[in-house]
Amino acid sequence: MKQETGMFLISSVFLAMVSGIYWFMSGDWTGTSALTMATLLTGMVAAYLGVHAAKMDPRPEDRKDGDIADGAGELGFFPPYSWWPLWCALTLSICVFAIAMSAWWLLIIGGVAGMLTLSGWVFEYYRGEHAH
Amino acid sequence: MSTATAAETTTTVDRKPLGQQLVRIMTTTDHKLIGKMYLVTSFAWFMIGGLMAMVIRSELAFPGNQLVNDELYNQLFTMHGTIMLLLFATPLFFGFANVIMPIQIGSPDVAFPRLNMFSYWLFLFGGLIAASGFLTPQGAADFGWFAYTPLSDAVRSPGVGGDLWIMGLWMAGFGTILGAVNFITTIICMRAPGMTMFRMPIFVWNTLITSMLVLMAFPILAGALLSLEADRLLGAHVFDPSHGGPILWQHLFWFFGHPEVYIIALPFFGIVSEILPVFSRKPIFGYVGLVGATLAIAVLSVAVWAHHMFVTGAVDLPFFSGMTFLIAVPTGVKFFNWIGTMWGGSLSFDTPMLWTIGFLTTFLFGGLTGVILASPPLNFHVSDSYFVVAHFHYVVFGTVVFAMFAGFYFWWPKLTGRMLNERLGKLHFWLLFVGFHTTFLVQHWLGVEGMPRRYADYMPWDGFTTLNQVSTIGAFLLGASTLPFLYNVFITRKAPLVNVDDPWGWGRSLEWATSSPPPRHNFVSIPRIRSESPAFDLHHPEIAMLELHENDAERRGDVADAPNVDGRAETLTARIEGDLVDGDTESHADRAAEQNDNEGDAR
Repeated sequence: MKQETGMFLISSVFLAMVSGIYWFMSGDWTGTSALTMATLLTGMVAAYLGVHAAKMDPRPEDRKDGDIADGAGELGFFPPYSWWPLWCALTLSICVFAIAMSAWWLLIIGGVAGMLTLSGWVFEYYRGEHAH
Repeated sequence: MSTATAAETTTTVDRKPLGQQLVRIMTTTDHKLIGKMYLVTSFAWFMIGGLMAMVIRSELAFPGNQLVNDELYNQLFTMHGTIMLLLFATPLFFGFANVIMPIQIGSPDVAFPRLNMFSYWLFLFGGLIAASGFLTPQGAADFGWFAYTPLSDAVRSPGVGGDLWIMGLWMAGFGTILGAVNFITTIICMRAPGMTMFRMPIFVWNTLITSMLVLMAFPILAGALLSLEADRLLGAHVFDPSHGGPILWQHLFWFFGHPEVYIIALPFFGIVSEILPVFSRKPIFGYVGLVGATLAIAVLSVAVWAHHMFVTGAVDLPFFSGMTFLIAVPTGVKFFNWIGTMWGGSLSFDTPMLWTIGFLTTFLFGGLTGVILASPPLNFHVSDSYFVVAHFHYVVFGTVVFAMFAGFYFWWPKLTGRMLNERLGKLHFWLLFVGFHTTFLVQHWLGVEGMPRRYADYMPWDGFTTLNQVSTIGAFLLGASTLPFLYNVFITRKAPLVNVDDPWGWGRSLEWATSSPPPRHNFVSIPRIRSESPAFDLHHPEIAMLELHENDAERRGDVADAPNVDGRAETLTARIEGDLVDGDTESHADRAAEQNDNEGDAR
């Protein structure tokens, strides 16, 4: 996890330098804000990964001598198939289309349908809290 | 008689009814199938955008109005740019990364399979909404794909086509952001044991860095698009000219737009970095250098956006010019490493390699004109002329299209289990190569002579006619080159299955250590990973040992521009002496078929 952290950290440090240089050279608010936000974004990821890297032992994929067997066991939950991404995307399309056409009545319909489909997605494999 | 019946029975058993196939496509969470859907859809957009380009070139073949009126011409170049950048090149990256990346890191799927599917649907529906403007009375968006304000506001571009364009792209871009999150999480959290960061294939590195770039660039586009839509619909004054709104838009757009160029370039650099070692029979030269160059290009690309705005007179020329020149350095490092990989190798010019060399030459031209454009005094003269058009077609066509076909020919057996026809592939390449350079090389001179971009017409006495006609002939040759490819796909749909893990024989990364095509969760068993080329170490331990002996610093773990190979020598020795039997030495195809059957029963 440390190398992943390093990648984001290098980007963040570089962007911080560039933000400063850009501000002094141009005095432009727009670009400086955008560069600062990019610095903070990469910095945030670096901080998150760094904190976790410090707390945990190296994972099998971080170890140069990691063996395939070290990763044995349940890897995670992989849904075999799902209808919900399609329904969610369709309802979002309705909302987006409604905004573009300024058809506000359609936006309301899309919004309600969107809440239903989003709930469907979230609860598709729900079995109760921490039941997985 | 009996044989024929038996054959018929087999085909009917193999193919599921159309309804079941459709349901599978609509509900799948398999990253390989989603990736293939991305590839097919983006290729369809590529052909639509290409047809638009041929209409544009036909219009420009002669002075005067031939084919389309000025309004339609504006819509065509706007949608051509939009489609090629955002509905073809960007999702093409998602296609390749989805199909290949999880297998290359030894993962059973991406981290969020349903989110992956959601990203695809957002791209598909968003693209359809953006292009649906053609069906409205006033036509599609016609303000150019960078939608400069105030031209793109409600007064100067009335009509719902512009609104559909803005909201459709917002939605497709939202899918892009979610996809990037998915890839970053997958690469950080789901690598196989032993697959440390500095053993990942270059393509995986480039996917990771590109995804990081997506996270920096696309939210800015999303925000800018929604602000523009608020201006158009609700009468907000975000981009009002009275307080410098147009320059604000240009800053925001290019803060997205320039990284976007690298978002569509870096993954394709990754593809050629995968192909060159396989067909040079040598490990990649300068592994760490390539990773560093990719990261350098990515972070530098965030700080060069306003070189698109030199002629506004409102930006800091030394800063942006200097930063842009700097990008040439890591790009040069990449060229150095690619040539170094081929240097002294045993080159074999199969179609993937041919396309890769086509990429190297074409992209080199684009890079050189890029250095010219980075210099403000030269930029002022050719800005908004055909010189710029030629430059960016060399850059993006050179990377995206050449590397795309390289990737198609290279990974086709992994995607489908069948090889594409080599002879047709070579015909395809030469038609496209000659067609492309005929179309775009002359446009440099058109630009220098002063022909502006985005004009529907020119006068006979301008002296642009001959070069435009050369360009148009080239464009039709270029368009025709797609036919051999489509024919190739058609005739090889029932070609014999390759039935081996590695049909090229020298495949290095992990996707060549599983069956073609791989089973549902990619691997039956994964070999031990001690280098960036686990499949090569598995299939050819003796030759891998020779490679290792050629590289003293790499072997000893001293400072070396090479991937991490701790424990590689021991693993290779154990494999040569037969002490270690790992990976899957038996036929993958049989097991994969067996597993697929079982899954079918479970469904």
